[in-house]
Parts: sequence; structure tokens; C-alpha cells
Amino acid sequence: MYRYASRLCGEADAAKDLVQETFLNAYRGFDKFRGEAQVSTWLYSIASRACLRMRRRRKGAPERELSLEEFIPSSDGEFRLQIPVQGLSPEEALQNKQLRQGLDAAIGKLPKKYKMVLVLRDMEGLSAKEVGAIMGLNERAVKSRLHRARLFVRRELSARGLAEGTHEPDHA
Amino acid sequence: MTEQAPFKRRKRPAATPHRHEAGRCLRILRELSAFIDDELQGDICLEIRRHLGGCPRCEEFVASLRQTVSLCRRNPAPALSAKERAKMRERILDAAQSR
Repeated sequence: MYRYASRLCGEADAAKDLVQETFLNAYRGFDKFRGEAQVSTWLYSIASRACLRMRRRRKGAPERELSLEEFIPSSDGEFRLQIPVQGLSPEEALQNKQLRQGLDAAIGKLPKKYKMVLVLRDMEGLSAKEVGAIMGLNERAVKSRLHRARLFVRRELSARGLAEGTHEPDHA
Repeated sequence: MTEQAPFKRRKRPAATPHRHEAGRCLRILRELSAFIDDELQGDICLEIRRHLGGCPRCEEFVASLRQTVSLCRRNPAPALSAKERAKMRERILDAAQSR
């Protein structure tokens, strides 16, 4: 749960608060849990709702919708945006601190409802059906949000110009 | 013995820039995640494979999208130490008991 909270919140203290709130809410609402879903799915749902409430409390600008049209490449350069992995495996590439930070920053910039789907599906490894159950979406909506999230991260990651200085692993 | 002309590599003609029709482009773009996740079947999958085979730019686009997904899937997440976990458990129990 801390792993999920950390990926959503992006910082340790907020993640710990979210974990605490999640388990407190689970404890208070346990008599309502009917066992129709797995406990993990139920906890993810509680955490996701708590995270959205935390965001609403902060009253930032309303989150924007990502449209597919904004990701259509309009120039040759946009087609050729490259992720700076230099032929390495993902694990090898992620040993580079700059790339890790770049990836975290790109995911951090995602509007929350897209970030949740990306984290649940691609990072927590849940199925589209499970993600839908957690977020109250049908599978089609999950896949649509996931796709926009991936396109967004791709564009952010390659636009950060990380191509220089990604040759040596930087264990940190 | 006559001198032979130096061997010259024949230049390949430059690839014709691929023109994407906006509607078709959007249709393909919409399906790329399903394509990468091997969830796409039928005509649209075949259409995408054919398109990628003839369009280096789109092929690069899909390759970078695949890399993005791979990086997300393997991005390590911070973990709590045993001490931090114990502290958190204590916080949660305290908070539960005080309500």
C-alpha cells in the first residue's frame, strides 16, 4: 500500500498520510466489506478515493482532460522523440538517476485520474478489469485513460532532453 | 591492365515521406496501446503492422511508446524500512484506538 501511495503522491510524508488514512478507513468500514472483491482491490479502492479527496482539499486548478488529438505528431521531430535508453534493458536504463527522476516527474505531471490508471495497470500490475473495479470504470474507459497516460509520459520523457548523460549508471 | 573505376555505393533513394491522413492517423493512434499489449485482433492489427512496415517514423513512435511502458512497468518504488513499517503500524493503531 505504501508503494501505491508513494507512486500516487510522489513524496514520502503524503504517502504515509495516505496509507494511514486508507487503513483507518478500512478499519472503520470493515463490517461493510462483503468479501465480493479481494481485500487488496478493496484497499486500493479506499486508497484511490482518499487520494482524490486529498487532492480536492488542496483545491488546485481543476484537472484537465487529455485528448488523443494532442498526441498526434505534427512534425517529423515529434514522431522521432526518443526515450534515452541507449539500447539498454529497462532495468539497466533505470539505474540512471536522471532517467528515474525524469520518469517520476513525467508521471507526477499526469492529471490524477490518468496517473491512477497508469500506476494501477502498468506499475502495480493489475488487470484492466481490476482497475475498473477499483476506479468505478468499465474496461474500455480504463484502457482509454491508460493509453492517454502512456502517450503523455512518452512525450514528457522524451521532451526532457535526457539524451546526454544517460550512458553511465548512477546508483543513487 | 585497365584501371577499374572506383567502386561507388549506389545511394538508396530517400524514403518518400509518409503522409498521414488525420482521420486514419487518429484511428491508428487510438489503438496503439492495445497493439503493444497484444490485445488487438483482426483487420486493425493487420493494418497497423502493414503501416509500421512501411513507415519508419511511425515505427519509431511505437518503439518509444513500448519503451515508455517498459520503463513504467519496471520503475522501482520506494519501500519502507522495517523500522518505518513498525512506526506506521503504531500510528495507525493509535489513531484507530483514539477514535
